[in-house]
Amino acid sequence: MSLFLPKLTCKKDIDEVIKGVAEKVVVLRFGRDEDSVCLQLDEILSKSAHDLSNMASIYIVDVDKAPVYTRYFDISYIPSTVFFFNGQHMKVDYGSPDHTKFVGSFKTKQDFMDLIEVIYRGAMRGKMIVQSPIDPRNITKYDLLYHGI
Amino acid sequence: MFMFAKTKEKIACFQGTPYQVALPVVCLFETSGLFTCAVCITFKYLYNCTIVSPSFSYDCVRVQIYFRLGSPFAVSMGAHYCAICRQTTFDGKGHIFGKSHQSRLRVVLHKFIEKVKEARRTLKKPQVEKYDSTQHDQKFWCYCCELEVQRHVTDNNMTVLCGGLIEHMATAEHRKNTHKFWWDNKADPKLRDKVIITEEETERFKSEVSNALETFVEVEDNYIEQQAEFIRRQEKHRQDVLQSLLEHESEAELTNGPNGTNVSAEDPVRFQPEGSDQQQTSRFVDSMAGAPGPASGMNLTFIGFQDPSNRGNVHTGAVPPWLQDDDPLEGSSGGTAPPEIGPSLQDFLKQKEREKLKKLPPNRVGANFDHTSQTDANWLPSFGRVWNSGRRWQSRHQYRQEEDHDNRAKRKSDHSAEASKRVKKTRNYDIT
Repeated sequence: MSLFLPKLTCKKDIDEVIKGVAEKVVVLRFGRDEDSVCLQLDEILSKSAHDLSNMASIYIVDVDKAPVYTRYFDISYIPSTVFFFNGQHMKVDYGSPDHTKFVGSFKTKQDFMDLIEVIYRGAMRGKMIVQSPIDPRNITKYDLLYHGI
Repeated sequence: MFMFAKTKEKIACFQGTPYQVALPVVCLFETSGLFTCAVCITFKYLYNCTIVSPSFSYDCVRVQIYFRLGSPFAVSMGAHYCAICRQTTFDGKGHIFGKSHQSRLRVVLHKFIEKVKEARRTLKKPQVEKYDSTQHDQKFWCYCCELEVQRHVTDNNMTVLCGGLIEHMATAEHRKNTHKFWWDNKADPKLRDKVIITEEETERFKSEVSNALETFVEVEDNYIEQQAEFIRRQEKHRQDVLQSLLEHESEAELTNGPNGTNVSAEDPVRFQPEGSDQQQTSRFVDSMAGAPGPASGMNLTFIGFQDPSNRGNVHTGAVPPWLQDDDPLEGSSGGTAPPEIGPSLQDFLKQKEREKLKKLPPNRVGANFDHTSQTDANWLPSFGRVWNSGRRWQSRHQYRQEEDHDNRAKRKSDHSAEASKRVKKTRNYDIT
């Protein structure tokens, strides 16, 4: 599954991808290849990668390989998926506490494709935060805590 | 209702059953005549009639008869073909006074009179021309006499223009026919005289013609004389040139034989240049075989024979220089193998990309993001953190600060003897 998606192993690669991909959504999946939920997510990502090839480019990042970004993006749960467009981070309101990334896996491939389409359209219109089309029941629930408390 | 029909022979009255009526009606109307229509109670002439549809009712017979009506004259003429309109009419004389006939007649006469006018112009000054088979055998149609007449008079060497027309118009036959034509078609009598040519005019014309013929013959003879003169002159010139050359040759031969007898002091001087250019003149004679004007060849500069052996020239049908890829020209331009025109492949692809970009909405996210900018190792993307409000780069700023703080704290702890003491990292999230 994750065999078919391109892997990014160092910060430099991630930088290049974020800066280089133009006019397409950049999907960065942060997680570990062995994790079960990550495997599920990876399967959905790879299956839909071709269909979304004109709208999005999907990449796999191991959280252990790029600690800078793990800290910068505040990745506490894996898998976490972060979206960029033209070097700009896209926020999505899923109905969950964290708008900056998508935590967990998608229930269906269609959910993911809808989400990508909404992000793409929003970005084309100049919106940096969009509303997620996914049913909130299908989104993983998690708690977000202040770290220092 | 019943009708009476009075024919030359009998009066018939018909009324009764359909069958009884049908038969007598048919035989009645074989001949035409005057009859009284009891329905309309008028006198009507009857001719060429047919029964179109008998209509029957239960009580009585009513026969519908359609027939052509006309004046008595019409009946007497019957079917008449009008040559002007090219139609058959049953109206007889009535047709001639009709609008269409008159208009057609006017057109026809106009054309006819044009031709006659042209002929009249030559009455006073007849034109004689050399016979031209393409034009001078034309005939014209005389409407009055209804026959085709030769337009010009010719004897296969010279023609008198419009001579035939004038001759024909002068004949008494034609005069008679013209009168008849005018009367029959009721044309405008003023125009009639234009179509006829009187005797005196013809006499005058004939005398003029004879004069014209004489002058024409004279002119022709003069022309022929001139041509002959010209040809004779040319021939003479050619002969002279040939003679002069032959004389030179023969004199040179003579001197080569007898060595110096009868040779004056001036002769060697004269003969040597003659001998040296003997070969040139022999070539000259060869090339002079078909020369038109010998005088013109002497005062031009001779630039040498153009040798077309390896390339060929226009006479052999070689490729013209502007269609050849000339090697020396390409070499001089700097040795570039086929000079390409237009943008390179890279430029072209980039242009395509740029065009695609232009189509995208201009207010999309990151429209002015420079994808190819060079950044250092600790570049971080603009990321809006979870608890942040304010601009996204502030989160980057904050992150850097925290990292710095953490690093300094780490270094401090490393330096300090207590390695186990770890400073809890407190991250202050900027809520304001």
